Amino acid sequence: MSADIILVIVVGTALAFDFTNGFHDTANVVATSISTRAIGPKQAVVMASLLNFAGAFISLKVAATIGQGFVDTDAVTTTVVFAGLVGAIAWNLITWWLGLPSSSSHALIGGLVGSVVAAQGFAAVNGGGLLDNLIIPAIIAPVIAFAAAGISILFVYRIVGNLRPGPVSRGFRHGQLISGGMLSLSHGTNDAQKTMGVITLALVANGDIAANHFHVPDWVVISAASAIALGTFIGGWRIIKTLGTRIIDMDPAQGFAAQGAGAAVILAASSVGYPLSTTHVISGGIMGSGAAKRLSAVRWGVAGNIVTAWVLTLPAAGTIGALTYAVASLFGSGAVGPILITAAMLTALAAAFARRIQRAAPAPSTP
Amino acid sequence: MTSGLINTGALVKMLYSSLLASIGTAVVFAAAILGAVRASDMRRANRSAAAVAYAAVATVGVLVVVAVIVYGLLLIARK
Repeated sequence: MSADIILVIVVGTALAFDFTNGFHDTANVVATSISTRAIGPKQAVVMASLLNFAGAFISLKVAATIGQGFVDTDAVTTTVVFAGLVGAIAWNLITWWLGLPSSSSHALIGGLVGSVVAAQGFAAVNGGGLLDNLIIPAIIAPVIAFAAAGISILFVYRIVGNLRPGPVSRGFRHGQLISGGMLSLSHGTNDAQKTMGVITLALVANGDIAANHFHVPDWVVISAASAIALGTFIGGWRIIKTLGTRIIDMDPAQGFAAQGAGAAVILAASSVGYPLSTTHVISGGIMGSGAAKRLSAVRWGVAGNIVTAWVLTLPAAGTIGALTYAVASLFGSGAVGPILITAAMLTALAAAFARRIQRAAPAPSTP
Repeated sequence: MTSGLINTGALVKMLYSSLLASIGTAVVFAAAILGAVRASDMRRANRSAAAVAYAAVATVGVLVVVAVIVYGLLLIARK
Protein backbone atom coordinates (compact mmCIF):
# COMPACT_ATOMS: atom_id res chain seq x y z
CA MET A 1 0.00 0.00 0.00
CA SER A 2 2.77 2.40 1.03
CA ALA A 3 4.72 1.63 -2.17
CA ASP A 4 1.63 2.27 -4.27
CA ILE A 5 1.11 5.66 -2.60
CA ILE A 6 4.70 6.62 -3.44
CA LEU A 7 4.15 5.39 -7.01
CA VAL A 8 1.07 7.62 -7.37
CA ILE A 9 3.08 10.59 -6.04
CA VAL A 10 5.93 9.78 -8.47
CA VAL A 11 3.58 9.55 -11.47
CA GLY A 12 1.90 12.85 -10.47
CA THR A 13 5.28 14.55 -9.97
CA ALA A 14 6.63 13.20 -13.26
CA LEU A 15 3.60 14.46 -15.17
CA ALA A 16 3.90 17.84 -13.43
CA PHE A 17 7.56 17.92 -14.58
CA ASP A 18 6.41 17.06 -18.12
CA PHE A 19 3.81 19.84 -18.01
CA THR A 20 6.42 22.41 -16.91
CA ASN A 21 8.74 21.15 -19.65
CA GLY A 22 6.11 21.93 -22.30
CA PHE A 23 5.23 25.19 -20.54
CA HIS A 24 8.83 26.45 -20.57
CA ASP A 25 9.75 25.24 -24.05
CA THR A 26 6.80 26.71 -25.98
CA ALA A 27 8.83 29.87 -26.60
CA ASN A 28 11.70 27.92 -28.16
CA VAL A 29 9.38 26.01 -30.45
CA VAL A 30 7.09 28.80 -31.68
CA ALA A 31 9.08 32.04 -31.34
CA THR A 32 10.96 31.68 -34.65
CA SER A 33 7.79 31.10 -36.69
CA ILE A 34 5.98 33.97 -35.00
CA SER A 35 8.87 36.44 -35.25
CA THR A 36 9.14 35.96 -39.02
CA ARG A 37 5.32 36.20 -39.29
CA ALA A 38 5.15 32.75 -40.85
CA ILE A 39 2.16 31.98 -38.65
CA GLY A 40 0.00 33.82 -36.13
CA PRO A 41 0.73 33.32 -32.42
CA LYS A 42 -2.53 31.51 -31.64
CA GLN A 43 -2.22 29.15 -34.59
CA ALA A 44 1.46 28.53 -33.75
CA VAL A 45 0.64 27.54 -30.17
CA VAL A 46 -2.25 25.25 -31.18
CA MET A 47 -0.11 23.60 -33.88
CA ALA A 48 2.81 23.18 -31.46
CA SER A 49 0.56 21.57 -28.84
CA LEU A 50 -0.98 19.10 -31.29
CA LEU A 51 2.37 18.16 -32.83
CA ASN A 52 4.02 17.81 -29.40
CA PHE A 53 1.26 15.34 -28.58
CA ALA A 54 1.71 13.44 -31.85
CA GLY A 55 5.51 13.45 -31.53
CA ALA A 56 5.36 11.55 -28.27
CA PHE A 57 4.04 8.49 -30.12
CA ILE A 58 6.76 8.30 -32.78
CA SER A 59 9.56 6.55 -30.90
CA LEU A 60 10.36 5.08 -27.47
CA LYS A 61 14.14 4.80 -27.72
CA VAL A 62 14.82 7.84 -25.53
CA ALA A 63 12.48 6.46 -22.84
CA ALA A 64 14.49 3.22 -22.86
CA THR A 65 17.76 5.16 -22.47
CA ILE A 66 16.37 7.12 -19.51
CA GLY A 67 15.01 3.95 -17.93
CA GLN A 68 18.04 1.73 -18.47
CA GLY A 69 21.02 3.78 -19.59
CA PHE A 70 22.18 5.76 -16.57
CA VAL A 71 21.54 3.87 -13.36
CA ASP A 72 21.35 0.26 -12.24
CA THR A 73 17.60 -0.51 -12.30
CA ASP A 74 18.03 -2.94 -9.37
CA ALA A 75 19.24 -0.03 -7.23
CA VAL A 76 16.21 2.14 -7.97
CA THR A 77 13.23 2.42 -5.63
CA THR A 78 10.16 4.59 -6.06
CA THR A 79 11.56 6.93 -3.38
CA VAL A 80 14.79 7.26 -5.40
CA VAL A 81 12.79 8.24 -8.51
CA PHE A 82 10.72 10.67 -6.43
CA ALA A 83 13.85 12.33 -4.99
CA GLY A 84 15.36 12.58 -8.49
CA LEU A 85 12.24 14.31 -9.80
CA VAL A 86 12.25 16.74 -6.87
CA GLY A 87 15.90 17.55 -7.66
CA ALA A 88 15.01 18.27 -11.29
CA ILE A 89 11.92 20.36 -10.54
CA ALA A 90 13.68 22.35 -7.79
CA TRP A 91 16.67 23.13 -10.05
CA ASN A 92 14.31 24.10 -12.89
CA LEU A 93 12.50 26.51 -10.59
CA ILE A 94 15.77 27.98 -9.27
CA THR A 95 17.14 28.56 -12.79
CA TRP A 96 13.78 29.93 -13.96
CA TRP A 97 13.90 32.36 -11.01
CA LEU A 98 17.50 33.38 -11.85
CA GLY A 99 16.81 33.54 -15.58
CA LEU A 100 19.39 30.89 -16.49
CA PRO A 101 18.65 28.87 -19.66
CA SER A 102 19.11 25.44 -18.09
CA SER A 103 18.08 22.11 -19.56
CA SER A 104 15.13 20.26 -18.02
CA SER A 105 16.48 17.02 -19.44
CA HIS A 106 19.88 17.38 -17.81
CA ALA A 107 18.20 18.39 -14.54
CA LEU A 108 16.07 15.24 -14.66
CA ILE A 109 19.03 12.93 -15.23
CA GLY A 110 21.18 14.83 -12.71
CA GLY A 111 18.47 14.58 -10.05
CA LEU A 112 18.03 10.87 -10.70
CA VAL A 113 21.75 10.14 -10.56
CA GLY A 114 22.12 12.19 -7.35
CA SER A 115 19.34 10.32 -5.56
CA VAL A 116 20.70 6.94 -6.71
CA VAL A 117 24.15 7.88 -5.39
CA ALA A 118 22.60 8.90 -2.05
CA ALA A 119 20.71 5.60 -1.88
CA GLN A 120 23.24 3.08 -3.20
CA GLY A 121 26.55 4.85 -3.78
CA PHE A 122 28.45 5.59 -6.99
CA ALA A 123 28.60 1.90 -7.95
CA ALA A 124 24.91 2.05 -8.96
CA VAL A 125 25.62 4.76 -11.56
CA ASN A 126 26.50 3.75 -15.11
CA GLY A 127 29.30 6.27 -15.71
CA GLY A 128 29.90 4.99 -19.23
CA GLY A 129 26.21 5.35 -20.03
CA LEU A 130 26.21 8.94 -18.74
CA LEU A 131 29.21 9.85 -20.86
CA ASP A 132 28.01 7.91 -23.89
CA ASN A 133 24.32 8.83 -23.90
CA LEU A 134 24.21 12.22 -22.21
CA ILE A 135 27.39 14.24 -21.87
CA ILE A 136 28.93 13.76 -25.32
CA PRO A 137 25.64 14.15 -27.25
CA ALA A 138 24.87 17.22 -25.09
CA ILE A 139 28.12 18.85 -26.23
CA ILE A 140 27.94 17.74 -29.86
CA ALA A 141 24.24 18.22 -30.71
CA PRO A 142 24.05 22.05 -30.38
CA VAL A 143 27.29 22.31 -32.39
CA ILE A 144 25.78 20.15 -35.16
CA ALA A 145 22.63 22.30 -35.14
CA PHE A 146 24.81 25.44 -35.31
CA ALA A 147 26.81 24.06 -38.26
CA ALA A 148 23.78 22.63 -40.09
CA ALA A 149 21.82 25.88 -39.85
CA GLY A 150 24.88 27.94 -40.82
CA ILE A 151 25.76 25.83 -43.87
CA SER A 152 22.08 25.64 -44.90
CA ILE A 153 21.60 29.40 -44.85
CA LEU A 154 24.81 29.96 -46.86
CA PHE A 155 23.52 27.58 -49.57
CA VAL A 156 20.05 29.15 -49.44
CA TYR A 157 21.37 32.70 -49.88
CA ARG A 158 23.52 31.50 -52.79
CA ILE A 159 20.49 29.92 -54.51
CA VAL A 160 17.87 32.63 -53.92
CA GLY A 161 20.11 35.65 -53.33
CA ASN A 162 19.49 37.21 -56.75
CA LEU A 163 15.72 36.82 -56.70
CA ARG A 164 13.10 39.39 -55.72
CA PRO A 165 12.99 39.37 -51.90
CA GLY A 166 9.19 39.53 -51.59
CA PRO A 167 8.31 36.16 -53.17
CA VAL A 168 11.36 34.52 -51.54
CA SER A 169 10.27 35.62 -48.07
CA ARG A 170 6.71 34.44 -48.79
CA GLY A 171 8.08 31.07 -49.93
CA PHE A 172 10.17 30.57 -46.81
CA ARG A 173 7.25 31.64 -44.62
CA HIS A 174 5.26 28.77 -46.17
CA GLY A 175 8.31 26.54 -45.61
CA GLN A 176 8.34 27.51 -41.96
CA LEU A 177 4.92 25.92 -41.54
CA ILE A 178 6.69 22.64 -42.31
CA SER A 179 9.97 23.31 -40.45
CA GLY A 180 8.14 24.74 -37.41
CA GLY A 181 5.80 21.76 -37.41
CA MET A 182 8.75 19.38 -37.56
CA LEU A 183 10.41 21.21 -34.68
CA SER A 184 7.28 20.83 -32.53
CA LEU A 185 7.02 17.17 -33.49
CA SER A 186 10.68 16.54 -32.64
CA HIS A 187 10.28 18.34 -29.30
CA GLY A 188 7.41 16.01 -28.36
CA THR A 189 9.39 13.01 -29.54
CA ASN A 190 12.45 13.70 -27.37
CA ASP A 191 11.09 15.51 -24.31
CA ALA A 192 7.89 13.57 -23.61
CA GLN A 193 9.89 10.34 -23.69
CA LYS A 194 12.03 11.47 -20.75
CA THR A 195 8.95 11.50 -18.52
CA MET A 196 7.85 8.15 -19.96
CA GLY A 197 11.28 6.71 -19.07
CA VAL A 198 11.11 7.98 -15.49
CA ILE A 199 7.56 6.70 -14.90
CA THR A 200 8.49 3.32 -16.37
CA LEU A 201 11.58 3.22 -14.14
CA ALA A 202 9.27 3.79 -11.13
CA LEU A 203 6.99 0.99 -12.37
CA VAL A 204 10.02 -1.32 -12.57
CA ALA A 205 11.06 -0.27 -9.06
CA ASN A 206 7.55 -0.98 -7.80
CA GLY A 207 7.57 -4.45 -9.38
CA ASP A 208 4.83 -3.68 -11.91
CA ILE A 209 7.21 -4.27 -14.84
CA ALA A 210 10.07 -6.80 -14.92
CA ALA A 211 13.49 -5.14 -15.28
CA ASN A 212 14.48 -7.60 -18.02
CA HIS A 213 11.25 -6.86 -19.92
CA PHE A 214 11.50 -3.06 -20.01
CA HIS A 215 8.63 -1.58 -22.00
CA VAL A 216 6.63 1.64 -21.81
CA PRO A 217 2.89 0.96 -21.15
CA ASP A 218 0.37 2.72 -23.40
CA TRP A 219 -1.19 4.71 -20.54
CA VAL A 220 2.26 6.15 -19.77
CA VAL A 221 2.74 7.23 -23.40
CA ILE A 222 -0.72 8.82 -23.58
CA SER A 223 -0.47 10.62 -20.23
CA ALA A 224 3.06 11.96 -20.94
CA ALA A 225 1.99 13.12 -24.41
CA SER A 226 -1.07 14.85 -22.94
CA ALA A 227 0.93 16.55 -20.16
CA ILE A 228 3.55 18.04 -22.50
CA ALA A 229 0.90 19.11 -25.02
CA LEU A 230 -1.17 20.79 -22.29
CA GLY A 231 1.96 22.50 -20.93
CA THR A 232 2.84 23.75 -24.42
CA PHE A 233 -0.69 25.06 -24.94
CA ILE A 234 -0.96 26.90 -21.61
CA GLY A 235 2.64 28.14 -21.75
CA GLY A 236 1.92 29.49 -25.22
CA TRP A 237 -0.82 31.86 -24.10
CA ARG A 238 1.59 33.31 -21.56
CA ILE A 239 4.24 33.72 -24.26
CA ILE A 240 1.85 35.52 -26.60
CA LYS A 241 1.32 38.23 -24.01
CA THR A 242 5.05 38.94 -23.69
CA LEU A 243 6.00 38.19 -27.26
CA GLY A 244 7.24 41.68 -27.99
CA THR A 245 10.27 41.24 -25.76
CA ARG A 246 11.08 37.69 -26.68
CA ILE A 247 11.10 37.51 -30.45
CA ILE A 248 14.28 36.89 -32.36
CA ASP A 249 15.16 39.18 -35.22
CA MET A 250 15.67 37.00 -38.30
CA ASP A 251 14.39 36.65 -41.85
CA PRO A 252 12.12 33.76 -42.94
CA ALA A 253 14.99 31.92 -44.70
CA GLN A 254 17.05 31.99 -41.50
CA GLY A 255 14.01 30.84 -39.51
CA PHE A 256 13.50 27.96 -41.93
CA ALA A 257 17.18 26.93 -41.70
CA ALA A 258 17.28 27.20 -37.90
CA GLN A 259 14.08 25.23 -37.37
CA GLY A 260 15.03 22.62 -39.97
CA ALA A 261 18.45 22.09 -38.37
CA GLY A 262 16.96 21.88 -34.87
CA ALA A 263 14.28 19.41 -35.94
CA ALA A 264 16.75 17.24 -37.88
CA VAL A 265 19.22 17.02 -34.97
CA ILE A 266 16.52 16.26 -32.37
CA LEU A 267 14.83 13.63 -34.57
CA ALA A 268 18.17 12.01 -35.44
CA ALA A 269 19.07 11.92 -31.73
CA SER A 270 15.67 10.46 -30.84
CA SER A 271 16.16 7.70 -33.40
CA VAL A 272 19.39 6.56 -31.68
CA GLY A 273 17.96 7.13 -28.17
CA TYR A 274 19.84 10.26 -27.03
CA PRO A 275 17.94 12.43 -24.54
CA LEU A 276 19.00 15.90 -25.69
CA SER A 277 18.38 19.36 -24.34
CA THR A 278 15.97 20.60 -26.99
CA THR A 279 16.51 24.16 -25.71
CA HIS A 280 20.25 23.98 -26.40
CA VAL A 281 19.78 22.41 -29.85
CA ILE A 282 17.22 25.01 -30.95
CA SER A 283 19.46 27.81 -29.61
CA GLY A 284 22.38 26.30 -31.57
CA GLY A 285 20.32 26.35 -34.78
CA ILE A 286 19.23 29.96 -34.27
CA MET A 287 22.80 31.09 -33.54
CA GLY A 288 24.14 29.18 -36.56
CA SER A 289 21.71 30.81 -38.98
CA GLY A 290 22.50 34.22 -37.45
CA ALA A 291 26.28 33.74 -37.44
CA ALA A 292 26.36 32.69 -41.10
CA LYS A 293 24.82 36.03 -42.05
CA ARG A 294 26.71 38.22 -39.60
CA LEU A 295 28.80 37.09 -36.61
CA SER A 296 27.79 40.14 -34.57
CA ALA A 297 24.09 39.21 -35.00
CA VAL A 298 24.54 36.40 -32.50
CA ARG A 299 24.01 37.10 -28.83
CA TRP A 300 27.20 35.40 -27.66
CA GLY A 301 26.34 36.27 -24.07
CA VAL A 302 23.36 33.92 -24.32
CA ALA A 303 25.71 31.18 -25.51
CA GLY A 304 27.91 31.81 -22.47
CA ASN A 305 24.89 31.58 -20.16
CA ILE A 306 23.89 28.28 -21.76
CA VAL A 307 27.36 26.82 -21.14
CA THR A 308 27.35 28.03 -17.52
CA ALA A 309 23.88 26.59 -16.88
CA TRP A 310 24.86 23.35 -18.60
CA VAL A 311 27.97 22.88 -16.44
CA LEU A 312 26.02 23.61 -13.25
CA THR A 313 22.86 21.62 -13.97
CA LEU A 314 24.01 18.00 -13.50
CA PRO A 315 25.83 18.53 -10.16
CA ALA A 316 23.24 20.99 -8.80
CA ALA A 317 20.18 18.88 -9.62
CA GLY A 318 22.11 15.82 -8.41
CA THR A 319 22.89 17.46 -5.07
CA ILE A 320 19.24 18.46 -4.54
CA GLY A 321 18.12 14.94 -5.53
CA ALA A 322 20.59 13.41 -3.04
CA LEU A 323 19.50 15.77 -0.23
CA THR A 324 15.84 15.02 -0.95
CA TYR A 325 16.51 11.29 -0.74
CA ALA A 326 18.38 11.79 2.55
CA VAL A 327 15.47 13.80 4.02
CA ALA A 328 12.86 11.28 2.78
CA SER A 329 14.89 8.44 4.32
CA LEU A 330 14.74 10.11 7.74
CA PHE A 331 11.06 9.08 7.83
CA GLY A 332 11.79 5.44 6.91
CA SER A 333 11.10 3.63 3.65
CA GLY A 334 7.33 4.30 3.67
CA ALA A 335 5.25 7.02 2.06
CA VAL A 336 5.57 9.54 4.93
CA GLY A 337 8.78 11.15 3.62
CA PRO A 338 7.56 11.68 0.03
CA ILE A 339 4.16 12.94 1.29
CA LEU A 340 5.79 15.49 3.62
CA ILE A 341 8.26 16.65 0.95
CA THR A 342 5.45 17.01 -1.61
CA ALA A 343 3.39 19.01 0.89
CA ALA A 344 6.39 21.22 1.69
CA MET A 345 7.06 21.82 -2.03
CA LEU A 346 3.43 22.67 -2.77
CA THR A 347 3.35 25.06 0.21
CA ALA A 348 6.56 26.76 -0.93
CA LEU A 349 5.22 27.07 -4.48
CA ALA A 350 1.90 28.51 -3.28
CA ALA A 351 3.77 31.01 -1.07
CA ALA A 352 6.02 32.04 -3.98
CA PHE A 353 3.05 32.56 -6.30
CA ALA A 354 1.12 34.46 -3.64
CA ARG A 355 4.13 36.73 -3.10
CA ARG A 356 4.47 37.31 -6.82
CA ILE A 357 0.77 38.10 -7.23
CA GLN A 358 0.96 40.46 -4.23
CA ARG A 359 3.91 42.28 -5.82
CA ALA A 360 2.15 42.49 -9.19
CA ALA A 361 -1.07 43.90 -7.70
CA PRO A 362 -1.45 47.67 -8.28
CA ALA A 363 -1.08 49.88 -5.24
CA PRO A 364 -4.39 51.30 -3.98
CA SER A 365 -4.96 54.85 -5.18
CA THR A 366 -4.88 57.58 -2.60
CA PRO A 367 -7.53 60.30 -2.58
CA MET B 1 22.54 -0.94 -23.12
CA THR B 2 25.94 0.64 -23.07
CA SER B 3 29.36 -0.85 -22.74
CA GLY B 4 30.84 2.21 -21.09
CA LEU B 5 32.78 3.00 -24.24
CA ILE B 6 31.69 5.88 -26.44
CA ASN B 7 29.18 4.63 -28.98
CA THR B 8 30.85 6.24 -31.99
CA GLY B 9 28.48 4.55 -34.45
CA ALA B 10 25.38 6.22 -33.00
CA LEU B 11 27.11 9.60 -32.78
CA VAL B 12 28.29 9.42 -36.37
CA LYS B 13 24.80 8.35 -37.45
CA MET B 14 23.29 11.34 -35.66
CA LEU B 15 25.92 13.63 -37.19
CA TYR B 16 25.55 12.64 -40.83
CA SER B 17 21.78 12.07 -40.81
CA SER B 18 21.01 15.44 -39.22
CA LEU B 19 23.47 17.34 -41.44
CA LEU B 20 22.21 15.60 -44.58
CA ALA B 21 18.54 16.08 -43.70
CA SER B 22 18.77 19.73 -42.70
CA ILE B 23 21.15 20.94 -45.42
CA GLY B 24 19.52 18.74 -48.07
CA THR B 25 15.97 19.93 -47.39
CA ALA B 26 17.08 23.57 -47.15
CA VAL B 27 18.86 23.36 -50.54
CA VAL B 28 15.98 21.53 -52.24
CA PHE B 29 13.39 23.91 -50.78
CA ALA B 30 15.46 26.91 -51.89
CA ALA B 31 15.59 25.37 -55.36
CA ALA B 32 11.80 25.00 -55.25
CA ILE B 33 11.44 28.69 -54.41
CA LEU B 34 13.87 29.57 -57.19
CA GLY B 35 11.73 27.51 -59.58
CA ALA B 36 8.48 29.13 -58.45
CA VAL B 37 9.82 32.70 -58.67
CA ARG B 38 11.50 32.14 -62.04
CA ALA B 39 8.38 30.39 -63.41
CA SER B 40 6.34 33.46 -62.51
CA ASP B 41 8.93 35.75 -64.16
CA MET B 42 8.97 33.59 -67.31
CA ARG B 43 5.17 33.59 -67.57
CA ARG B 44 5.20 37.39 -67.42
CA ALA B 45 7.83 37.42 -70.18
CA ASN B 46 5.64 35.05 -72.28
CA ARG B 47 8.35 32.36 -72.26
CA SER B 48 6.02 29.38 -71.78
CA ALA B 49 8.56 26.59 -72.16
CA ALA B 50 10.93 28.07 -69.60
CA ALA B 51 7.98 28.79 -67.29
CA VAL B 52 6.89 25.14 -67.45
CA ALA B 53 10.45 23.95 -66.81
CA TYR B 54 10.86 26.19 -63.76
CA ALA B 55 7.41 25.22 -62.47
CA ALA B 56 8.49 21.58 -62.74
CA VAL B 57 11.60 22.37 -60.67
CA ALA B 58 9.37 23.99 -58.02
CA THR B 59 6.94 21.06 -57.94
CA VAL B 60 9.66 18.43 -57.77
CA GLY B 61 11.44 20.39 -55.04
CA VAL B 62 8.35 20.56 -52.83
CA LEU B 63 7.58 16.87 -53.45
CA VAL B 64 11.15 15.88 -52.56
CA VAL B 65 11.02 17.86 -49.29
CA VAL B 66 7.72 16.22 -48.32
CA ALA B 67 9.03 12.77 -49.31
CA VAL B 68 12.23 13.22 -47.25
CA ILE B 69 10.21 14.24 -44.17
CA VAL B 70 7.75 11.33 -44.49
CA TYR B 71 10.59 8.86 -45.11
CA GLY B 72 12.55 10.17 -42.12
CA LEU B 73 9.56 9.91 -39.80
CA LEU B 74 8.75 6.39 -41.00
CA LEU B 75 12.36 5.39 -40.43
CA ILE B 76 12.26 6.65 -36.83
CA ALA B 77 8.80 5.17 -36.10
CA ARG B 78 9.76 1.71 -37.41
CA LYS B 79 12.70 1.35 -34.97
